Amino acid sequence: MTDRPPKPASATSPWSWTRVIYAVFALAVFCFPSGLVEWLDEHNASGWLSAPLAIARGVDAVSTAVGLEPAGQQLRKWFQAAVGESDT
Amino acid sequence: MLFPTIDFGLFFAFSLALVWSLNPYNTLKKVVLLALSLAFYASWNWRFLLLLLASGAISYVVGLYVDAAAKRPFRRLALGLGVALDLGILAYFKYLDFFIAQFITLAHAFGFDPPIEFVNVTLPVAISFLTFHAISYIVDVYRGRLPASRSPLDIVLYISFFPHLVAGPIVRAHEFLPQLASPRRAGDFSFGENLLLILGGLFKKMVIANYISVRFVDPVFTDPTQFSRFDLIVAVYAYAVQIYADFSAYTDIAIGVAALLGYRFPQNFNQPYRALGIGDFWRRWHMTLSNWLRDYLYIPLGGNRHGALATARNLLLTMVLGGLWHGANWTFLIWGAMHGAALVIDHAWRRSDAFARFGSRPIARVVDWTLTFHFVCFAWLFFRAPSLDAATQFIAGVWTDNGAPNTMPMIVLPLIACGALTQIMPSRTRVAIGAVLDNRGPAIQVACAFALLYFIIVMAPTASAPFIYFQF
Repeated sequence: MTDRPPKPASATSPWSWTRVIYAVFALAVFCFPSGLVEWLDEHNASGWLSAPLAIARGVDAVSTAVGLEPAGQQLRKWFQAAVGESDT
Repeated sequence: MLFPTIDFGLFFAFSLALVWSLNPYNTLKKVVLLALSLAFYASWNWRFLLLLLASGAISYVVGLYVDAAAKRPFRRLALGLGVALDLGILAYFKYLDFFIAQFITLAHAFGFDPPIEFVNVTLPVAISFLTFHAISYIVDVYRGRLPASRSPLDIVLYISFFPHLVAGPIVRAHEFLPQLASPRRAGDFSFGENLLLILGGLFKKMVIANYISVRFVDPVFTDPTQFSRFDLIVAVYAYAVQIYADFSAYTDIAIGVAALLGYRFPQNFNQPYRALGIGDFWRRWHMTLSNWLRDYLYIPLGGNRHGALATARNLLLTMVLGGLWHGANWTFLIWGAMHGAALVIDHAWRRSDAFARFGSRPIARVVDWTLTFHFVCFAWLFFRAPSLDAATQFIAGVWTDNGAPNTMPMIVLPLIACGALTQIMPSRTRVAIGAVLDNRGPAIQVACAFALLYFIIVMAPTASAPFIYFQF
C-alpha cells in the first residue's frame, strides 16, 4: 500500500470550497440570470427582496448586453429543438 | 425545496459558509444544523415539524432506557414499545386508509356495510425515511452497537439532517452519531470528488431522468391503452433507466452535500444493472435500504438460521414488507413479493450442486445477468403503475398491441444509452478525476465545475418531474 501524496491546502480548506462554489453560482447567475430574477420576483410579495431583485435585474441587463444570456438561451433552444422538445 | 432548484442552491450556499464558520464550536454548529434541517423540512409543511420532534423524543427516551443496565426490567419491552410507536406513526399516516379500504372491500364481499370512514390525512414528506432512522437508533443502542446519546440535540439532528431527510440514503445511527461528537475535518473529504458527485447527480436528474419521464414514460404509464407493443416494452426499460438516474441522482447529491458539510454518508448504489442474480442486485441497489432490511428485519426474523423453509419465509416476508414500505398500494406489495420469490429461487440456486458445477462458466454468467436484468425491469412495471388495474392493462397492451402506431420519441434511445453509461462507469473514475481536480488551483476548479453546470442548464428540459422517491 502506498501513501497518497498530500492534498494541496486549497483542497482541504472549506473556505476554498466555499469560494469555488460561490464563484460557480455567480457565473451561473451571470449566464442565466432570468431564473434568479423570476425566483426573486415570485418571493418578493412583501418587498423585502427588492434590493437583491434590483441587483439581479442589473446583472440580467449586463448579461443581455454582452450577449451571454441570449447565447445561453439560443443554445437551450437549439438543444431542445434537436431533441424534439415542442414547448420552447 | 428540492435539490435541483434555486431555493436549494441559495439554501446550500448559505448553509455551507455558516456551518464551516461554526465548526470550532461543535454544539453551536449542531444547533444551527438542526435549525437549518427543520427549516428545510418546514419548507414543505411546517405542521409536521412536531412529528419530526416527536420521533426524536421517542428515540431519545427509549434509547436512554434501553441503554441502562442490562438487568433493567422490561428493557426488551421498552424497545418493542419504541419501535411500535415509530411504526404506529408511520402506519397512521401512510397505511391506515389503505387498510380501511381493504377492510371495507372485504366486508362488502360478505354483504356487510361497516360504518367506517377514511382518515384522509396528508402524508408527511419523508415519513418512511425518518421512521427507519429512528428505529435504527434505538435498535443499535439495544444491541450495544453504540451507547445511548445523552444529547437530545444529536438524536433529533441525526433523524432530521437535511441531506438525507427526504429520500435517503438511510444512514444508520452507528454510522452517523459518532460523526457529531467532534468538529469535522475538511481534509477527510475530496472536494473534487464530491463536486463531481453533485454535478453528476444534477445531470442524471435534470437531463436523463427528466427527459425520459416527461417525454415518454409518464404519458405511456398514464394511459397504456394508447400505445403500441413496442412503445410499452421500451417504456419499461426506459423506466428502469429513469428510476436509476432519478434515485441515484438524489442520493449522489445528498452524499456530496453532506460531505461538503463534513459528514460522511454510506454508498447507496453500485452499478445495480450489472448484477448477476437478485441477491446481487439487492447488494447494489438502494444498498442502505437492503442493509437496513437485513439487519433490522430479516435477521431478527431468524435469517437463514432455521432451515430452508424458514429462510424462504423470512426472505419473502422481508421483501413484501420492503415493498409495502414504498407505499400503501397493492402494486408495491406485488413488486416486493416478486423480488422476495426471486430471492428465494436465487438463494436455492446458489446453494445447489448445479450452481457449484456450472455457475462460474461464462455462459452461466450471461444467462444470470440476462434473467436478472429483465426480471428487475419487468418488476419495475408494477412499481411504476399507479394501480393493479393499470399494470394489468399495460401487460394486456403488450399482448394485444392496442392497434396503436409507434410514437416513441427518438431522443429516448440515446437517453437510455446515456443512462446505462452513467451506471456502468465505475466510481473509481470519479475518484480519480476528483483527485486531479483537488490538485488544481481554484480557477481550474471553477472553470471545470461551471462548464459542467452550464451544459446541464443548457440541456435540461423546460418541464421537470419530481424525484420518484420524494413520495415515499
